[in-house]
Amino acid sequence: MAPRDPQEGLIFDVQRFSLHDGPGIRSTVFFKGCPLRCRWCQNPESQTRTPEMAFYQERCQACFCCEAVCPEQAITRRPEARIDFVRCSACGACAARCDPQAIVTIGQRWPVDRLVAEIEKDRDFFEDSGGGVTFSGGEPMGQHAFLACLLPALKARGLHVALETCGVFTWQQIEPLLPHLDLIYFDLKHMTPDIHRALTGRDNILIQENFRRLASRFAGLRARMPLVPGMNDDEANLRATARFLAVNRHDRIHCLPYHNLGEAKLARLQTALHPLKTDRPTPERLAWVADIFAQEGIHALIYD
Amino acid sequence: MPLSTIDRTEECPPDCRIQRLKEAVQGARPGVCTERARIWTRYHRLATNRRKPAAIQMAEALREVLRGKSITIYPDELIVGNFSSKRVGGSLYPELHGVPMLEDLLKFPRRKTNPLRISSKEQRQLAALIPFWSRRFLAYRAFRSPARRWRFILHQLQGQDYLINESGGIAHLAPDYATLLRLGADGIAARAKTRRKETPEDSEADLFYEAVQIIAEGLARFGERYARLAQDMAGREPDPDRREELYGIAAVCRQVPRHPARTLQEALQSLFFAQIALNLESLDNSICPGRMDQYLYPFYERDVRNGRLTPDQARTLVAAFSIKMAEIVPVFSERLTRFHGGLFNGQVVTVGGTTADGRDAVNDLTIIFLDVMNTLRMRQPNYHARLHRNTPPHYLARIRDILADGSNSPALYNDDIIVETMCRQGYALEDARDYTAVGCVEPVSQGRSFSSTDAALVNVPLLLERALNEGRRFGARRRSGARTPPVARMTAMADVTSAFQAQLEQQISRLVRDLHAVEAANRRYHPTPLTSMLLEGCLERGICSTAGGARYNFSGVQCVGPADTGDALYAIEQAVFKDHRLSLGALVDQLKANLSDEALRAYLRGLAKFGNDAPEADRWTRWVVETFARVLAQHRNTRGGAYVTGLYSVTAHQAFGSVTGALPQGRRKGAPFASGIAPGNGLDRKGPTALLNSLNRLDFSKTANGVNFNLKFDKQTLRGKAGRMALQSLIKTYFRRGGMQMQVNVFDADELLRAYRHPEAYPNLLVRVSGYSAYFNDLTPKMKEEIIRRQLVACGP
Repeated sequence: MAPRDPQEGLIFDVQRFSLHDGPGIRSTVFFKGCPLRCRWCQNPESQTRTPEMAFYQERCQACFCCEAVCPEQAITRRPEARIDFVRCSACGACAARCDPQAIVTIGQRWPVDRLVAEIEKDRDFFEDSGGGVTFSGGEPMGQHAFLACLLPALKARGLHVALETCGVFTWQQIEPLLPHLDLIYFDLKHMTPDIHRALTGRDNILIQENFRRLASRFAGLRARMPLVPGMNDDEANLRATARFLAVNRHDRIHCLPYHNLGEAKLARLQTALHPLKTDRPTPERLAWVADIFAQEGIHALIYD
Repeated sequence: MPLSTIDRTEECPPDCRIQRLKEAVQGARPGVCTERARIWTRYHRLATNRRKPAAIQMAEALREVLRGKSITIYPDELIVGNFSSKRVGGSLYPELHGVPMLEDLLKFPRRKTNPLRISSKEQRQLAALIPFWSRRFLAYRAFRSPARRWRFILHQLQGQDYLINESGGIAHLAPDYATLLRLGADGIAARAKTRRKETPEDSEADLFYEAVQIIAEGLARFGERYARLAQDMAGREPDPDRREELYGIAAVCRQVPRHPARTLQEALQSLFFAQIALNLESLDNSICPGRMDQYLYPFYERDVRNGRLTPDQARTLVAAFSIKMAEIVPVFSERLTRFHGGLFNGQVVTVGGTTADGRDAVNDLTIIFLDVMNTLRMRQPNYHARLHRNTPPHYLARIRDILADGSNSPALYNDDIIVETMCRQGYALEDARDYTAVGCVEPVSQGRSFSSTDAALVNVPLLLERALNEGRRFGARRRSGARTPPVARMTAMADVTSAFQAQLEQQISRLVRDLHAVEAANRRYHPTPLTSMLLEGCLERGICSTAGGARYNFSGVQCVGPADTGDALYAIEQAVFKDHRLSLGALVDQLKANLSDEALRAYLRGLAKFGNDAPEADRWTRWVVETFARVLAQHRNTRGGAYVTGLYSVTAHQAFGSVTGALPQGRRKGAPFASGIAPGNGLDRKGPTALLNSLNRLDFSKTANGVNFNLKFDKQTLRGKAGRMALQSLIKTYFRRGGMQMQVNVFDADELLRAYRHPEAYPNLLVRVSGYSAYFNDLTPKMKEEIIRRQLVACGP
C-alpha cells in the first residue's frame, strides 16, 4: 500500500445532524479502517483500510455500463452480485459510470480543507446547540497523522471536537492531539484479555493501558461500551468493567445497546462478518445492566 | 351571572366536560346543511328583493339566514351557537361557487374522500335550487362575454394552469373582534348611523352604512335567539347545576353580541356568534379569530383579578370555544378536494409575538391556549405561534416540547422577518406587529387587512414545459402559451430562462385579467357588509371591503412547484450546458417520451437538488421565486392593493403535478410536485441542517404572502432531551438567519402505514398537510401515500 498523504483522510461518510455522538447537533465523520474485527460490528464497511466497492442490488437497472468500463473484468452478471471481489481493485471506475448508484465506492480521500469546509456548513447549528464534530469510524486513530493536520485547523475555528476510539493506538500518536480534543469516547468492550481477543481479534492490554493514562491526563475522557447480548453483558464482565472504572476514578459509562440494523450492509460487501443471531437487548435487560453498574457505584447512561 | 356557568368544572376533573364535548364533536359524522342555501335562495327568488341594491340584498339575506336557521344548545356546552343544523356540518353558497360545487350533490354521502352526510330529502332540496342559480352564480356573472365565461369555467374545472379561489368568495380575514367586544353590535351600528348622517342619500356609501346597520342588528338578534333558547331549556332542565348554567348562558347571550363584552365568557361568546355569521356571509374559509391571547387578555386578567375566574376555569372556557370551532366543515366537490384536501376551514388562532410597540406579548392566556391546543389536538382551529428574537425561553421551551411530543401544531412564525417584509409592502410598523396568519400561512394585520390571500394558485413547472416546446404542451399541436423559440435555437441557459419568463409573464397577465373580473364581480354582486363592519377602514370611508374599503388590500397568488421548477432548470444547466451529456433537443425529446431512458433518468435524478445544501442547485429555486415575485408585482388588484407572492400549495401540488409533463430533473409525467417550498419529494437526503441551509438561501422578503415549510421527523429522532434541544436549535437557527415560517411534523412511518391499512383503527390521527392539520382519514389515498413517502425518507439518523 502506498504511503498516505497526511493531508488526506480516507472517509466513508459524513453524517450531519447526529444527536448521539456527543453534546448538541454534530457532524459525525466516519474514518475508514479499523484494527479490530468486532463480531457485532455495525459498520462493516469501515473495517478495511482501503476504498472498497459495494453493490446495492435494489438500485441496479442491469444496464451493465459497469462491465464496459471495468479494467479488471471484475463485473459479474450473477443476479445478487455485480462485483467479483477477487479481481476487483476498487479503482471506482464502475461507480463513476453507475448513474443509479447501484455500485458505490466506500471510502473517499478527503483533503483537510475540504473536510473542514464540509464540517463548517453546520457551524450555525453547532453554535446554538453546543454541538460540533465527532470523529468515528472505523478507527480515527488509524489515521492519526491526518488527524494531526486536521484537528488544529478545527480548533483554530473554535469548533468542539470529539473522538470515538477503540483505544488501539500508541501514546505518541494521541498525545499531540489531546490539546485539540474536547471529548474522547473510549470503548471498553470486554475486561478479560482472552475474551476480548475472541470477540474483537485483539487483546485489551494496550487498550486498558491507554485508558489508564488518559484517565489521569485528559478531563474529557468518557467510557463507553457496546452491550451485546451473550457476548459482554454478563454480570462478571459488567462488574469487572465497573471496578476498572472506579480504579480510574470514573463514575459513569455510556452504554450502547446492540442493534442489528448494520446486518443489512453485509450482503453488499466483501466481508468475513456473519450476522449475529441476536436481537437488541430488552428494556428489562438494560434495566438490569444499569442496576449492576449502580451496585458498583457507576452510573450507566443507556442510549436509546 | 356567568360565574355560575363554570362552577361545575370544579366538581369533576377539569377536562371531564371537555372530554365529553370533544368526543361528541369528533364522533359526529360531518354533514351538509341546506339551510343557508335554501334561505338565501328564498330571499333572492323574490324579484322585489333582487331589485334592491346589492349591499342591502346581502345584509338582508344574511339577516334572514341568522333569523331562520335552526339553533341548538348541546349538552355540556358553555359556549353556544351552531354553524349549521348538523353537529359537524358545512353550508353551501350557491351564489358563489354555486352550480359547479353541486356536481357532487349525489356523491356526497358515498364518495371515498371526505364523505358528507346528506339525506335524500336534502339532496332534493338542493337540486331544486340549481335552476335558479345556474345563470346567477358569481363566476358566471363575472364574465360578460360567453366565450370568456366558458373558457374561465372550463379552465377552473380542468385546473391545469391556475386555480382561482376568489370566484368562490374571498373571506380570508382576521376580523377586528377587539372592536366588536368593546362596542358590541349596537355600538358599531351607531357608528354607521353617525357616518351615514354625513353621507348623501342613496350614494354607495349611504347604502353601505344602511347594510351595516341591518346586519349589525341581525347579528345582535342572532345572539338573543340563543338567550331565549337557553332560558327555555333552563326551565325544563331537571339537573339543578345544568339549569344554573343555562340561566348563565341566557344572561351572556342577552348581553352579547349586542352589547360590549364584560367577561371572558361574554367575549368568547360574542366573537363566536360573529364567527358563525361571518362564515355564513361569504365563504366559510379562513375567518380567523387571530390573536386571541392578546385581545382577550384584558377580560381574562380582569376576571381573575376580581376573583370571578380561576385559570383552570379559563382553560375550560377556552377549550369549550376551541371545540366549537371544529363543528364546521367545508362542502367541496371531489374536484376541489384535490386542491384543498382534508376538510380544511383554516380558522387560525395565533398566539405570542409582540405588542404594537415591539415588546414581547406572551401572557398567561398564551400558555392556556397552547395547553388547550395540545390537549385537544383537533382539526380546527389551526393554532399558530409567533416567535421573535426576544421570545421568552419558557414559551419557546413549551412549544418545543409540544412539537417534539408529536402535536404537529402550532405552526411557527418569525416576527423579525415577517414584520420587516410587511413594512416593506406598505404596512405601518405597529400594524405589521399586530399580524396574524390567515388561511394556511398568510400574514395579515388583524382587523385591518382585506387581503385576498388565497386569490389563486399557479402551476409554475407547467410554464417550463411550454417554454421547452414553443408555447405548447408536450404532445399538443395547439399553442396554449406564449410563442417562444424552439429549443434548437437555445444555445445558452439565458435562452431557456427568457423563454420561461415569457411564458410566466403571459400566464400572470391572463391570470390577473381573470382575477380583475372576479374581483369586480365580488364587489358588484357579493358585497360583504358584515365582514366590512369588522375591518378597520370600511366604516371610516364608507366603502365595502370588496371595493377596497379596508386599510390594507393585498391579493395573494401562490407560486406552486418552485423547487420542481428550480431543480428542472439546474438539471438543464448541468446536463446540457455543463456536462454536455446530451443536447437540449434530445433532452426535450426524452421528456416528451416521459424519460423512457432509465439510465438518463438515473443520471438526471443523481444531479444536485434543492434542499441538500448545494448552493449551485439552490440558487435556481431562489431564481424561480424571485422571478415569479417580480413578474407578479407588476400588477395591482382592483381594490388598490398589490399582488404578492406566496409559497404554499395546500394540496394543489398534487393536482397540478398530475396534469404536468415530465421535467428535466428526472420527474416523470403526473408525479406530484413538492408541497410549498419543500424540496422535491424524497429528494432531500442530507438531513434537517442541510435542508435549513438551503431554505435560508431563499429571500423571504420576496414572499409577503407567506410560505409553508414542513420539517418532518420521525418520533425517534426527537426523543429525549437531546432531541428536544436539537429541535429548538433548528428552529432558533433557522429563524435567526431569516427563515419565515416552519411547521414541525412528527410521525413514525409504521404508524402511518398501519393507519393506511386500517383506517377504522385510526379515526383521529392528525397530520400536517400543508399550512394546516387534517385527519389522516380525510385525505385521498394519493395524499396518504405521499405523506407516508415523505415520512419514509424523513430526515434524521
